[in-house]
Amino acid sequence: MTAYIARRLLQMIPTMLGVVLLLFVLFNWVGGDPAYILAGKNTSDAQIANIRHQLGVDRPAYVQIGIFLKQIVTADFGASWSTNEPVSDILKTRLGPSMTVMLPMMVLGVLLAIALSLIVARFHRSLTDRAVMVACTVGMSVSILVYIIVFQYVFAYRLGWFPVQGWSDSLWTNLTTYAALPILIGLCVGLAPDLRLFRSFVLDEIDQDYVRTARAKGLSETRILWVHVLRNAAIPIVTFVMAALPGLLVGAFLIERFFSIPGIGREVLLAVERSDFPVIKAITVYVALATMLANLAADLIYKAVDPRVELK
Amino acid sequence: MAAMAKAFHFPMSATVAVNRGNGFWSLAWQRFRDDRVGVVSLVIVAAFFVVVFLSALGVIASGWNEEVAIPDAPPDLWGLLKPAPPMAMESAAQRAAQRMGKEPSLEPLLPSAVMDPLAETLARLRGESDVLPESRVVDPLAETLRTLGAGDELLTTTIEKRMSLPFGGDRWGRDVLTKTIKGSQTSIIVGLTAALLATFLGTLLGALAGYYGHRTDDALNWFYSVFNAIPYLLLILAVAAVLQQRGVVTVILILGLTGWTGVFRLVRAEYIKHRGREYVRAAHAFGVPNRRILFFHILPNVSHVVLVNVSILAVGFIKAEVILSFLGFGVAVDEVSWGSMLNDAHRELILGRWWELLAAGGAMALLVTAFSLLTDAMRDALDPKIRVAS
Amino acid sequence: MSDLVNATALATSVLFSVERLSVAFRRRRQAPFVAVREATFTIHEDETVALVGESGSGKSVTALAMMGLLPKYSAEIADDSRILYRERDLLRCSDEERRRLRGADMAMIFQEPMTSLNPVFTIGTQIAEVLRLHKGMSASAAQARCIELLDEVGLPEPRRALARYPSQLSGGQQQRAMIAMALACTPRLLIADEPTTALDVTVQKQIVELLKTLKTRHRMSILFISHDLALVGELADRIIVMRHGEIREAGETVRIFSSPRDRYTQALLQCRPRLDDVPSRLPTIDDFMVEAQPLFPLPLCGGGCLEGAGEGESPSPLSKGGVGEADGGLPSATGEKNKTLLLEVSNLKKSFFKREGSWRRHEIPAVKNASFTLRRGETLGIVGESGCGKTTLGLTLLRLHQATGGTVRFDGQEVLALSEEAFMPYRRRMQIVFQNPYASLNPRFTVGQSLLEPILLHRMAADRQTATALAFDWLHRVGLDRDAFDKYPHEFSGGQRQRIALARALTVEPELLICDEPVSALDVSVQAQILNLLKDLQAQLGVSYLFISHDLAVVRYLCDAVMVMRDGEVVEINDVDSLYRNPQSAYTRQLLAAVPRVRYQGSEIRDQRSGIRT
Repeated sequence: MTAYIARRLLQMIPTMLGVVLLLFVLFNWVGGDPAYILAGKNTSDAQIANIRHQLGVDRPAYVQIGIFLKQIVTADFGASWSTNEPVSDILKTRLGPSMTVMLPMMVLGVLLAIALSLIVARFHRSLTDRAVMVACTVGMSVSILVYIIVFQYVFAYRLGWFPVQGWSDSLWTNLTTYAALPILIGLCVGLAPDLRLFRSFVLDEIDQDYVRTARAKGLSETRILWVHVLRNAAIPIVTFVMAALPGLLVGAFLIERFFSIPGIGREVLLAVERSDFPVIKAITVYVALATMLANLAADLIYKAVDPRVELK
Repeated sequence: MAAMAKAFHFPMSATVAVNRGNGFWSLAWQRFRDDRVGVVSLVIVAAFFVVVFLSALGVIASGWNEEVAIPDAPPDLWGLLKPAPPMAMESAAQRAAQRMGKEPSLEPLLPSAVMDPLAETLARLRGESDVLPESRVVDPLAETLRTLGAGDELLTTTIEKRMSLPFGGDRWGRDVLTKTIKGSQTSIIVGLTAALLATFLGTLLGALAGYYGHRTDDALNWFYSVFNAIPYLLLILAVAAVLQQRGVVTVILILGLTGWTGVFRLVRAEYIKHRGREYVRAAHAFGVPNRRILFFHILPNVSHVVLVNVSILAVGFIKAEVILSFLGFGVAVDEVSWGSMLNDAHRELILGRWWELLAAGGAMALLVTAFSLLTDAMRDALDPKIRVAS
Repeated sequence: MSDLVNATALATSVLFSVERLSVAFRRRRQAPFVAVREATFTIHEDETVALVGESGSGKSVTALAMMGLLPKYSAEIADDSRILYRERDLLRCSDEERRRLRGADMAMIFQEPMTSLNPVFTIGTQIAEVLRLHKGMSASAAQARCIELLDEVGLPEPRRALARYPSQLSGGQQQRAMIAMALACTPRLLIADEPTTALDVTVQKQIVELLKTLKTRHRMSILFISHDLALVGELADRIIVMRHGEIREAGETVRIFSSPRDRYTQALLQCRPRLDDVPSRLPTIDDFMVEAQPLFPLPLCGGGCLEGAGEGESPSPLSKGGVGEADGGLPSATGEKNKTLLLEVSNLKKSFFKREGSWRRHEIPAVKNASFTLRRGETLGIVGESGCGKTTLGLTLLRLHQATGGTVRFDGQEVLALSEEAFMPYRRRMQIVFQNPYASLNPRFTVGQSLLEPILLHRMAADRQTATALAFDWLHRVGLDRDAFDKYPHEFSGGQRQRIALARALTVEPELLICDEPVSALDVSVQAQILNLLKDLQAQLGVSYLFISHDLAVVRYLCDAVMVMRDGEVVEINDVDSLYRNPQSAYTRQLLAAVPRVRYQGSEIRDQRSGIRT
């Protein structure tokens, strides 16, 4: 087990180097000279040269990559180009609000979708099933933007049930007032696709031979679904949820923007608008790292839930 | 029930009906035709494509940028909502001045400055944010008008303006219906082209990785894992941050070059599955060249996976384009897409003008729903598992 | 159906009575498919009844209907059907009542124990579930009973097996666990749906013995479903033969074997090759079923093919030599030396390497030191149970797997060391036919495309037109119509597909044809046709076969010499008669002993056979 984890961690190195290389190519070559972007227009050549020197872009590529790697290892990406706030501070302070919104959204969403998918599976091949699926498809097809705009307008502006936006320092206040509407929106947006997906996981299991065996044993349909089928369907569901975890970090950027929640997603948007490269790079690198760790965790959990899996 | 009861009295031979002389695709089409939801979806999607085609040729909706009505003309749905009032006369110079100047002020209507979700957007539009590249702030038309000169004699002539439009007008009096049509053009072209690009990349790389295995697979898998390590949205935004140019081509490239990973994974798995199949072994036993096995033997057998994926990706990319354009990272300011319409609509909804939101959101929902249901129907028709076992 | 109720049956009371059972499945755009039509039979207390038939005969559907396990959304049972369990009509019971009977009064085991057990629960949990449900046992009582049950079905270390997951057991052990689960509430009827088909022959023997023991001990009834008449003969008191959803014949096992009345039953009994009797050719189902024809005409393709060859109508395939040598009686591997060697394999090794982490590789040997020879026009059978390396050996010979060591000489030329380019001519001279006829043809190619590709690739014809003519010729030789050319594989049955695969391999006129279990995926009646076809083609073309199979009877019928493999090693190699009469190794003896034999060989069978085969 330990050897497995150690090996997997080692295997992350080439991938991480790839990510670094990709970002380096992207930010240093594809987008043109970063110095011009930082300096803005109407800058003299001397100033540009000065900035180039400060950024290190005038040095050979391998030195620059070395600098980048050092930044990653020391977690020191310098300061934001637009606000001068240290990048590491930005990351630290934005994580909390993002999680306050995303974690409850994810947990509630997954539980709801699992329950509904098992209920829907009972009606498999009936008109009810078909209707629910079409409704899901329609629900998924409405843009998330429309959901946010309409929900915010109706529930916050018109009805005044929730504050339009804002954030406080208290986790409780945030959860009960400011994050409530965003979480509700997230649930509505996420339910349809999750339900569709989980339903397909459940249906994959329902046709398996062991379900027939369970029936031959005389088990009730309820027990077959909620014990035998669910336990098997849990395997792809867990895998899916683990894969979706890193997305939590930036997933709700639209919601964060509309509701002015000072989370990572909103920070990414601001950084992109301001061409604030250090912030984007730092966030990307750490999210990539988190993704790889989540993948490893997913495989470990996968092993725990599926006795057939052997870690190699 | 009655039909079933009858079945028991059929002669034995009648139960072994065989479909004659049919290939995979014609069988799939036969199955598809049975699916009523699928057929209706196909018709809707086809209708959208026709509209887009005509719009791309300039036959319809070419004048989406013209101010044909008074600002914020209400919708009348060809007189169904309320009778259309007569035309209004307005000086072009007045309008030009208005468009160059500030937005119609929203401030009094908003509850408070702190609570304003639009503060950021407004700030951006007012040009207060100095970090923003200039091009985003300025209306390109205003620029044109300015060069023409506000005092130009020609512009003082009056233009006829309609008081209402079937789907309403936007805040400059442009027809929401034509804007929606033009927006469909952008969204569908972006979605489809990017989906084709991503699918092409993903299929090619996935086929090579899955078929050859070993070092090829290792290398391509590394490439995949790099792209896969960065959450998709973040990757898109990072690329958008770097590419300063806005426009349809940029969006296609962003989506296409980042979106191939899903197809890669699927196609690779399919090729790994098929390369062990006996028909491929048989081809190897005859010494059929690898390239021929790759693209001539196996590809047709995974083509349904690829096709369904184009469709899934197109839906995803249409949604993504809308978000990108909404945020201002998508199409250029002189182009219209559902995303930029939703951006306008967001502002107008607070003033009680709901029609642009409904038009853009509704058109998109209709297309995406039809497209998704079509994808489902396609998958069902193409999935060999569904085939009746006899 | 005359002797449904006979003298011995009357002595005991009726447990199950199925009356006029008809089952149909709804289909899209097609008339419903009638899977079972008016089936009527009884099962008595303490009796083993076998339901025998080929695929699509409706035997499994009948069993599922009895259990109440047919899918509700697609299956429909005719209104006048009745399934009586101790005089209670199950079809008129509520779902809840039937559910309470399932697992308690009637239990079922299935063909694939691996998929039939829930992979994520331990064996103990799955067995205890039945006990707790039907007997209301406490957890600890259930566990104690589980251990007893596992012990009874012969699982080693039952206490530890309790905590095992299905994937940690072998196929045979899984089936034992399934049986334990089915026995948990000592049901009155155990339905066993092809319980040994997925298992190796030695394991099959053990499971059958186990079922016999359990049946006697618990005085329960068994409904044993199988496609294999010989196997059924080992344990059934009565046999019911089904075909196309209808019962063809039912009767005492002795009677069925000694004097089968139905033509189909006769066919089933005789078109299967046997260990103790090797006819020069097998009767096929059509010999029995097509009434207009004389009893034993030439098989389907036979007439046309042989005529064609005789008239010299198709010149090319016969020119390669060995034609004359093919008809020299039964040659032996060790005996005659006058035939030229075609294939010499010495110390062939093939290992697979499983990556363990990034660096270390774990070697898994699949073939260890295989050495053998094959002469032109002869057939070498390679026999072994699953996982013995026989298929890997075949693929390695063709370089579809890269050999790990050893040499392969084909017609004197060492071929393993050749470059892919230099090996190309040998890709024409050595060909292969695979086990699964559903996977061996490209589903998106028409039959014509599949046949033309090798012809054109190896320039067997000057232009497309002659290539097409050649393809038609080969279709004819394997007994298919011309209109097969434009059809797709899915439009053919398994046997027909295997003919197409055979035609495809033969288009390039190979000197060696590796047949990898070519008939094991086919129904018994179709097997005979393909085996005959293989024999005919060898006689005409002088092609050598390497015939890989797990089926000792089939190998005996077709082969000149036999090689027995186990765990990648060659256990024994000898000419066919010596091997079967006087097996040298213990493993071969074990294999031979496990093959089910027709028990009741009344004189009538013999008479009938000898009478037919003149």
